[in-house]
Amino acid sequence: MTGKISAVLAALLVGCALSLVNAQYQARHLFIELERAQAKARQLDIEWAQLQLDQSTLGKHARIEEIAHGDLGMTQLTPARTQYLTEGEP
Amino acid sequence: MSRSNAASSRVAASKGVSFSKSPVLAVRLPTWRSRVVLFVLFAAFAALAARALWLQGVSTQFLQKQGEIRYARTIELPATRGKIMDRNGQVLASSIPVKAIWAIPDDVLQAPPEKIRALAGLLDMGEAELRKKLDSDRNFVYLKRQVEQDVADQIAKLKIDGIDTRKEYKRFYPQGEVMTHVVGFTNVEDVGQESMELAHQKTLVGQTGSRRVIKDRLGHIVEDIGAKHEPHDGEDLVLSVDSKIQYIAFTQLKAAVEKFKAKAGAAVVLDVHTGEVLALANYPSYDPNDRRKLTGAQLRNRVMTDSFEPGSTIKPVTVALALDKGVVKPHTTIDTGPGRLTIKDRTISDTKAHHVITVQQVVEMSSNIGTSKIALSMPAQDMWEMFTKVGFGQQPKWGFPGAVAGRVRPYKNWRPIEQATMSYGNGISVSLIQLSRAYMMFARDGDTIPLTFEKSHDVPQGQQIIKPQTARQIREMLEMVVTGKDGTAKQAQVPGYRVGGKTGTAYKAENGRYAMPRKYIGSFVGIVPLSAPRFIIAVMIDEPTQGGKYGGQVAAPTFAKVAENALRAMNVPPDSTVTEIVAPTGNEGEAM
Repeated sequence: MTGKISAVLAALLVGCALSLVNAQYQARHLFIELERAQAKARQLDIEWAQLQLDQSTLGKHARIEEIAHGDLGMTQLTPARTQYLTEGEP
Repeated sequence: MSRSNAASSRVAASKGVSFSKSPVLAVRLPTWRSRVVLFVLFAAFAALAARALWLQGVSTQFLQKQGEIRYARTIELPATRGKIMDRNGQVLASSIPVKAIWAIPDDVLQAPPEKIRALAGLLDMGEAELRKKLDSDRNFVYLKRQVEQDVADQIAKLKIDGIDTRKEYKRFYPQGEVMTHVVGFTNVEDVGQESMELAHQKTLVGQTGSRRVIKDRLGHIVEDIGAKHEPHDGEDLVLSVDSKIQYIAFTQLKAAVEKFKAKAGAAVVLDVHTGEVLALANYPSYDPNDRRKLTGAQLRNRVMTDSFEPGSTIKPVTVALALDKGVVKPHTTIDTGPGRLTIKDRTISDTKAHHVITVQQVVEMSSNIGTSKIALSMPAQDMWEMFTKVGFGQQPKWGFPGAVAGRVRPYKNWRPIEQATMSYGNGISVSLIQLSRAYMMFARDGDTIPLTFEKSHDVPQGQQIIKPQTARQIREMLEMVVTGKDGTAKQAQVPGYRVGGKTGTAYKAENGRYAMPRKYIGSFVGIVPLSAPRFIIAVMIDEPTQGGKYGGQVAAPTFAKVAENALRAMNVPPDSTVTEIVAPTGNEGEAM
């Protein structure tokens, strides 16, 4: 009788030990994935900041004005050349 | 012989005496020897137990620490400095990670010369300069800081021993010289040095975090130990400034300073409803991304940190006080005589004789004598209180580093001549932003609100200074200055909009007296559109040397250009049908 109990307990113990190994392995695995994802998030953050900066640099009013005047031949709007419409009037 | 021996032993055995019992062979061991062995064994076990106790009990902490050092690492988690944005979310300042390149000189000098040459090329410095930096007996030398990532990667590819990098941040300012006097800049350690970068250092800077990890032989992180301290990035700062209006103000100011060959210029645009500063421009300016040739003149913020004698732009404040106290009415007549008025030994003069004019015309023609006479009919204390209420001589509390208070002397020792000159802006000094804020009460029906450099979401509580009726009367007078027959600021007209404002021209004081030959500061403060005030725009041109020297000639046209573009940019509907303006550009004279 005691021999049977011992055998069952021994089997259980081995099972537990193996599952611990497995759990540890899974934990490491997930941890590495988490690390990678976090590194990627940081990288994307930096990229986002860089892109915002680029947007601001490229959208600089000085640059827009220069292109509008020079390349596109646009001129500034004056009230004399503007027709104002009043709401509700045909 | 042998035979007899054998026989004798057999005999002995037969007699009951064993052979081994030979008295020669018999060893007698003393009993203490076994005890010694027992004791040594016992002592050895005791020593083992003591050692075990020592290791496990007493020195366990030390040992655990030593063990941890061999596999655990603390990693610093850097926090990024917050961004600064304009009111529409456009980035004005942002930190991007870069690398600092440092070296262990002795190791680097072992490298082949062509590699060092390549390194010098990548670091953008001469080889001699690089070698000079390496010629040091220290173990750690920064070769260059704030090197951009791709350059750092190329340096790493050279694989020179003793060259290493350290992560740091570099702050970029995409709007450059246009915005720099508002935004400021940080130093190489990412610490704010000027303007908003300095004022909001605490909230922008963020908090670095840390984590303890176990690293394997290859340096990969295996797992976390203990709690992780998350880094907190700095908070983003949203300014009240509108980059469109700022650009308009800056370019027009720059054009004006160049056209009039002036020493400097400054302009500020305020939102009448919220007290937000929409633009703050200075010229000469500088590029915050490259500050190697920075001079004091470029760095100076003439809107906030310089005070000057405002001249006639202050007259509406004096007149408003008189109207509010009921001393005069807009159509009360004042005799300004032949254009000269002597008080004791000092003479006040107008540019020409205006004779008898109304209070309205005093403002329109900017008569010094008229304003002085109005001022002298009031007690000095009232005037001083008025100046103090609008903020002159008061330290501004708008969170801008280095903002000056200006100077208003205590009324108790004002002499009458001083009270008279102060009424038209001499003997008192204010900053351009204080001057423009004083006009807030005219634009806002008599109350004034605090200014702010941050985007505000709630409507601030106003403080009533003059009656709404008085503010309306002053606005009418200010419009006469621009559109009236004798107005001093005809060039301030803006097509399609009603404009009100006041010119000012002051002599520059140097070392406590007025500079000779005369140096001028021309200024203009205006309100647009006058039917429903939206902006207060103040312009100051310092030492114009050609094409005019009066506020009406140098500052008023600059104001008009800024106003015209700003109104269009902000989609403010026109409130006037006049769309073509032929403003006289002649040399109209003007009082101080």
